[in-house]
Amino acid sequence: MVGENTMYLIGLAGLITVVYLSVIIMLKMKKIKALQTEIYKLQRALDETEEQAKLLVRTDMELNKAQEELDKKVTSLYALQKLSRAVSTSLEENQIFKRIEVSYLEELGFEKTLVYLWDEQEKKFRLFINKGYSEEDSVAITDYLNFNTEPYLNFIKSQKALSANSKALDDAKKETIKFKFKVASFVLAPILPKEGSQGFIFAGTENKDAPISEGDEELITILANQLGQALENARLFEKTWRAQQDLEKKVEERTRDLTRALEEVKMISQRKTEFVSSVSHELRTPLTSIKGYAAILLTGKLGELPEEVRLRLDKINRHSDELVQFVNDLLDISRIEAGREAMKQTSEELKKIIDSVSDLLSTQLKEKEIELSYDIADNAGVVFVDSNQIKRVFINLINNAIKFSPPKGKITIKSHKDDKQVQIDISDNGCGIPEHAQGPIFEEFYRVDNQINQQLKGTGLGLTLVKNIVQAHKGKIWVKSQPGIGSTFSFTLPQ
Amino acid sequence: MDIGLGFSTAKNSVLAAQEATRLAKMNMKEEIDLAVAFSSTDISSTNLLNTIATSLGTEVPLIGLSGLAIISNQGISTHGLVLLLLKFPEGVHFNTAYTKDVNERSTLAGEEMGEKLLYGFQDIPRALAMIFSDGLIEAGSNFIYGLQERLGRSFPVTGASAPDSVFLKSHLYFNREVSTNGCAGILWGGKLNFSLGIKHGWKPLGKPHIVTKSNDNVVDEIDYKPAVKFYQEYFNCDFAKLRKDLNQISIFYPIGVYLEGEEEYLLRNILSIESNGTMRFQGNVPQGSQIRLMIGTKETCLAAAKQAAEEAKRNLFSNPRMEIKKEGLKKFALVFSSISRFMLLRRDANRESEIIQEVLGPDTSVIGLYTRGELAPLRAVSYRGEVYLHNQAISILIIGG
Repeated sequence: MVGENTMYLIGLAGLITVVYLSVIIMLKMKKIKALQTEIYKLQRALDETEEQAKLLVRTDMELNKAQEELDKKVTSLYALQKLSRAVSTSLEENQIFKRIEVSYLEELGFEKTLVYLWDEQEKKFRLFINKGYSEEDSVAITDYLNFNTEPYLNFIKSQKALSANSKALDDAKKETIKFKFKVASFVLAPILPKEGSQGFIFAGTENKDAPISEGDEELITILANQLGQALENARLFEKTWRAQQDLEKKVEERTRDLTRALEEVKMISQRKTEFVSSVSHELRTPLTSIKGYAAILLTGKLGELPEEVRLRLDKINRHSDELVQFVNDLLDISRIEAGREAMKQTSEELKKIIDSVSDLLSTQLKEKEIELSYDIADNAGVVFVDSNQIKRVFINLINNAIKFSPPKGKITIKSHKDDKQVQIDISDNGCGIPEHAQGPIFEEFYRVDNQINQQLKGTGLGLTLVKNIVQAHKGKIWVKSQPGIGSTFSFTLPQ
Repeated sequence: MDIGLGFSTAKNSVLAAQEATRLAKMNMKEEIDLAVAFSSTDISSTNLLNTIATSLGTEVPLIGLSGLAIISNQGISTHGLVLLLLKFPEGVHFNTAYTKDVNERSTLAGEEMGEKLLYGFQDIPRALAMIFSDGLIEAGSNFIYGLQERLGRSFPVTGASAPDSVFLKSHLYFNREVSTNGCAGILWGGKLNFSLGIKHGWKPLGKPHIVTKSNDNVVDEIDYKPAVKFYQEYFNCDFAKLRKDLNQISIFYPIGVYLEGEEEYLLRNILSIESNGTMRFQGNVPQGSQIRLMIGTKETCLAAAKQAAEEAKRNLFSNPRMEIKKEGLKKFALVFSSISRFMLLRRDANRESEIIQEVLGPDTSVIGLYTRGELAPLRAVSYRGEVYLHNQAISILIIGG
């Protein structure tokens, strides 16, 4: 019984244990399943993270490439700006190339650069810039170019850049260029100044990991254009400079000719003055004798003269006076021109001078019933002049005004201050002077061709003397006139 | 310590050497112990070194490099020379050495360099070694291994190799010799106060992967798939496209090797992809390493430069070998910044040197070079200060006294 009970209890315990273990296993299984789910989730999350990492790294790489390209462009543009500034600030062809610094070209991404220009006379390419090649290499490349000028001249004519990427170049040609120029990639851009020799720039790199981009081609093309522009400017400048030099030379020659001519004119004028002076002096002695003898004869001391003889002697005497006046005028002109006649300048009242002249000419004024009036401004009443000489100016001008004014005419004298000088205007309502005669009127022996001049005698020296006296006072004289209305002679005198 | 810094951007090597030496000598009161010269490759020549030696008027040990761009207090320059003249305080010892044919026998060359540097150092406590190499030491890690065989696994080593450009080969300067495929080094000892800061700023992206088969710097499989698939899947490109974009991918997206306890992943640039799908990296990638694809941005890159400078500045005062005071302290910084950073930062590259100068202060003379592969010890305790070859990093060494 006891054994049965024991067996029963053991069986029960075993059953309970099995049930318990089953429950435990079930619970563990559930936990394992939950853990497996967690592991799966974690694995999935990790895989997702890995996928995200892949996306991230790919995007980052693209961004880095874009950034690198952008940086390269910014650096290149900066270098290009420096290069442009360097080449554009020179107006001398050789200096343009000397200003290109190797560091600028390196910043463009090319360690090898050559610049050639075509020499039309020599029929060959001439090297102007060599950056990155040894002397030996550059000579070899230049020799190669000059043995194969045609394709490179055609390339310049095409006016289009070429590069290791260009479809316009076949692979064989690209490989030849790479081989001859010892580079892995290259850009060729024509230099096209409008004037003078053209050429090209070659930019290359040995770096196989840095292929040429479109941006590189554009940059080198811009640089080539800048070089072309700089060369054009330098050549235009040289041309202009040469033209200016020629012009300056011509101006210098002409000036020299004119100076020489002026010297000759001065010499001739001086000789003329001297001649006139000497002739006048020579004339004055016999004239004095003629006039003296005529005067003695007219006194009748040497016997009574028949009326006919007296009349003739009177004429001789009068004409002798005129001739003496003429000779005196000539002598005065020549003395003033030669500077021998010193102006004894003092401050004089203009009114007094005019009154004195007016008195002197009162007979003539009365004869033609001409009214002489004057209007002297308060600040223009005093002049610093040689009064005797200036009186002759007034006498001549007023005399002329009387001569050419109609009876009962009007002569007006006005004065006003003009800057530091006094301007005097003597106006009449006479016959006037034709325009063409207004210029030469002050020249010696010039007489206006009009009716009055044909009737009245004159030497043609009066206005010349007037001009010389005014000029000796550092003044100016001019005339304004309208035929049939009248004339105004204006002149300036110092104060 | 006397420090003289000279800089010139003259395009002629003789003129550059004359100008830089004249400026550097202006601050030197006593005789000169050591000269360090970095120049752009376009002016590297024996003329440059001979002119420096002639201008100094005496034979001074000189080591240096030419590279794509130099770093100085004036910023970054792709043309020029920067020259540092040093007179160390009493108690500081140093030795310079040169070894050649590094690529052909990298481990042996490393050992030879170590032996030469140790010459005369029997009784002097060693402090720091600095190694320069021209071009790229392909098996750089093996060279370091050889060097550590002689100097000790935990001995601090810094330095860098100069990258060749597409057009010009970089050069190594040692005394009056200009050479290639060589290494030059300095071993300092005695009471030298120095500190190092190194960071890169690249961040991990995506899920971790395991290097399932590799040998030194050649990785055959990642996640049991040909190594090249790793990059092909990330960039969704075929083999040819990947090869074409290799330079860019290598700069911007290196792999990062996870190192226990290290703040940053150890970066490895791709050198080449073989047709069988294996990839060669600049520096070893141990089998079993956990790796991630890394991504760098300008911001993280500049932030890392700041952290490296701050770290170097902080450490200078944390464990000095001789008593130093902040006031009147004379110090200089040797900066090696990866050329990848130059390519990433592009127009902002100057900002990096500005940040360093801002952190170190205007009174710190700065001299440096853009490099490809920077040497520095790891910081994590588990690595016991072991020196590793870093990629994409900026390494700042400050020496003060």
